[in-house]
Amino acid sequence: MTVFRRLAAKFGERYRRMSIQMVISLSFTAVAAAGILLMGLSLIWRFSAANQQLVAENSQRVLAQANLSLDRYLRRMMRISDAVYYRIIKNTDLEGGDLSAALGLLYEENRDDLVSLAVFDSRGELVSAAPLSSVKAGADPAGSDWFQDASQSMENLHFSTPHVQNIFDDPDYPYRWVVSLSRYAQLTRGGATEGGVLLVDMSFSGIEQVCRDVSLANGGYLYLIDGDGELIYHPRQQLIYAGLLEENNREAAAYRDGSHQERFQGQTRQVTVKTVGYTGWKLVGVAPAGSGVTPQAVLFGLSLLLFSIFLMAFLNYRISVWISDPIRRLEQFVRELENGWEGAVLVEGGCYEVQRLGRAVGSMVSAMRHLTNDVVRQERQKRRSELEVLQSQINPHFLYNTLDSVVWMTESGQQAEAVQMVASLARFFRISLSRGKTIIPLSDELDHARHYMNIQQIRFKNKFTTEIQAGPGTEGLYTLKLILQPILENAIYHGMASAEDDGVIRVSAYREEANLIIDVEDNGLGMRPELAASLLEEDQPEVRTSGSGIGLRNVHQRIRLTFGEGCGLTILSEPDEGTLVRIRLPALTREEAGSGWQGEVL
Amino acid sequence: MKRREDLIQVGILAILGAAVLLSLALPPLFQSREGPPLLSLSVLLREPGSWTAAREGMEQAAEELGAELRFLTSTTPNDSGEQADLLLREIDGGAAALVAVPADPEALSAALDQWLVVCPVVTLESPMRGAAGTAAPDNALLGQRLAQALLEDWTGGEEVLLLESAGGGVRTRLEAAQETLEAAGVPVRRAGEREAAARWMMAFDASTTLRLAGEREAEGLDFTLYGVGSATGLTAQLERGNLAALAAWSDYAAGYLAVQRAVEAARGTDGQVEPLGFSIIRKEDIYGSENQKLLFPVTS
Repeated sequence: MTVFRRLAAKFGERYRRMSIQMVISLSFTAVAAAGILLMGLSLIWRFSAANQQLVAENSQRVLAQANLSLDRYLRRMMRISDAVYYRIIKNTDLEGGDLSAALGLLYEENRDDLVSLAVFDSRGELVSAAPLSSVKAGADPAGSDWFQDASQSMENLHFSTPHVQNIFDDPDYPYRWVVSLSRYAQLTRGGATEGGVLLVDMSFSGIEQVCRDVSLANGGYLYLIDGDGELIYHPRQQLIYAGLLEENNREAAAYRDGSHQERFQGQTRQVTVKTVGYTGWKLVGVAPAGSGVTPQAVLFGLSLLLFSIFLMAFLNYRISVWISDPIRRLEQFVRELENGWEGAVLVEGGCYEVQRLGRAVGSMVSAMRHLTNDVVRQERQKRRSELEVLQSQINPHFLYNTLDSVVWMTESGQQAEAVQMVASLARFFRISLSRGKTIIPLSDELDHARHYMNIQQIRFKNKFTTEIQAGPGTEGLYTLKLILQPILENAIYHGMASAEDDGVIRVSAYREEANLIIDVEDNGLGMRPELAASLLEEDQPEVRTSGSGIGLRNVHQRIRLTFGEGCGLTILSEPDEGTLVRIRLPALTREEAGSGWQGEVL
Repeated sequence: MKRREDLIQVGILAILGAAVLLSLALPPLFQSREGPPLLSLSVLLREPGSWTAAREGMEQAAEELGAELRFLTSTTPNDSGEQADLLLREIDGGAAALVAVPADPEALSAALDQWLVVCPVVTLESPMRGAAGTAAPDNALLGQRLAQALLEDWTGGEEVLLLESAGGGVRTRLEAAQETLEAAGVPVRRAGEREAAARWMMAFDASTTLRLAGEREAEGLDFTLYGVGSATGLTAQLERGNLAALAAWSDYAAGYLAVQRAVEAARGTDGQVEPLGFSIIRKEDIYGSENQKLLFPVTS
């Protein structure tokens, strides 16, 4: 289990480092190789099974033919036996007649298949025989198996296993191998019947000829056994008799007719058995149960397998390159972007999904570039606006006029007013700087406006009055700095210029839900609503005022750049009624101001 | 770089394709249509005697193992000089291996010494120094058992004549029998020929046994003979009572194994032949099931 887990981990690690092309190529090849192997094994198995079936059918066919021939041969021997018994023995009275001539004649007719014909009485004494007519001294026919079988089972014919015929006295001592066919016979002697045995010795070569030339598939062979498994015929019988070879004949005797698989001496064999009628003998066909696959076929199969696998690997490699190349190009494009190469070009290609992905990435990159450009442009604009505001704080005309007013008041003995003006100027500049912060408390911004208006009121000899107030809920709120002063400047220079000591400029800050509203209202000349609406349009030429030089649009842009499109200025005006400039800002607490505008909070 | 990789792959693909074609074409090219060439083996017998069963075994092995046999017999039986000349002539004639029944294994070994590496020799009956194998029973054991068979019948007092006929394995049998008999207190004497006065005799090769049994039958002699061999003629003599006991083994197996080992040796395969089993058979045992198989080869 641990080994499996370790292997899985190693595979997972390797998989994570693999390219998609390698993954596609390897997995396709593995699947193809497995498929080829599976198909090959399946074919071999089917071929082997079909081959074995063919071998079995062939063996059964051959055995049926051999059985037919053997049956015909044995029946011929039985007919000879019948002929001896029914035509000769039954028609001869041994007391006056002789069987020898008739037996001799019958023997001569069948001498190719017969070794001897003999008739014995119940004591085993030879009655008559052909071609030999005497029994060896010491021979005991009555003790022979064939005699015993015939005596004990009178109604049947009995076939012996092969043996050397040893009862007849032959000067040549030929020692022939025979198969004995014996039967009980009723002999007539002097009109009375007595028991006896008829022996027909068949030449072993007759059986051998029937079985010898039979060949089975895969170099198979055929042998013949009796019901006990004793060998009757085997193509290598003498080797078995000499102990140089073994056969599985004892086991085969227990087999039923049909095909069987057996393992003998390390070899798997297909054994087909056919019982020979009447005798109980069994023809046994043996064929090696090989798959029929030759070494050449194995070599060829291996070559073909290797070739197929390599072909699959090669084709899979090409296909994986074809599939993954657009993805690889896309990945390379993204990597180039990561590395900051602006000139990276995406070449679209591949299948539908990859094309879609490529287009999406391209579109995303394009949007990102536009956004980046916008941010850069806005940042530039913002810095420029802030710079302009800062520059406006040190406007030489404003400073000159203010200081000139201070000189004039000092010379005219208005020290208190002079001191107030200088103090307001100092306070004005201190808030303007605000240690470089752009977000400052609302109270500071209102103070800033108040000091500015103090200075301007002195300069304009109180032609107008100023009211600055902060509504409830605005305590502790923050605002963008220096947004009131340009509006107040516009109100003074455009609204109060022709006022006759009755001008009023009101600055009121209040909270409206999540917004901070600062209204700057004057009762000056006012303007047409169309003109008021157009003052904040970006495509209008920039109007520089004759005051501190910073227009309403600058303030509007700064607010929107900082807080978004929902914020900014709104100008409401009617000729001869005055103008209302409304500043809409998010109601920022110190924490919100600090978290949203790091480094900009005072 | 990529193109080079592609070219390499196509190259390997082409090589494998060629390998497939070669695997199709090569086996038929290397496979001889006539099968492997027959090995030429020469078989030299020490005397013309009864080698029928052995020859059948040899021919069976030759047929199964792809060999052809040339049977030779020296004009003078048991002439080791002539045997050596014949074998050298066969080696010179290109015999792949030889099967010999040496008359004198020592002399034959000396004569063939330098040629045994070139042409392996397998012997029948007698082992020979330098031979690739010997197909024979354990000669010493056979001699002992035959002597023991004689001891079962020996009535005492009379001398046993041991007939010397050949060297090698035959002499080993004789010496083992002599040793056994002497150990049992039986007076023994070696002789080259039968002696009229001898009542007990032992022969240690098939031809001598057959000759003596034939003489006993033909001349109506009354000596008791023990011999060796499994030829049909010997079996007939045993059955007719001219032999008291016969040490027999399967000549068919001996011939088969000798040629089998000769073919193996000619093809460079190491191996050896196990000693053949044998039986001491008396008249009453001839038609026992196993003895029938031993004594009477199944022939058509």
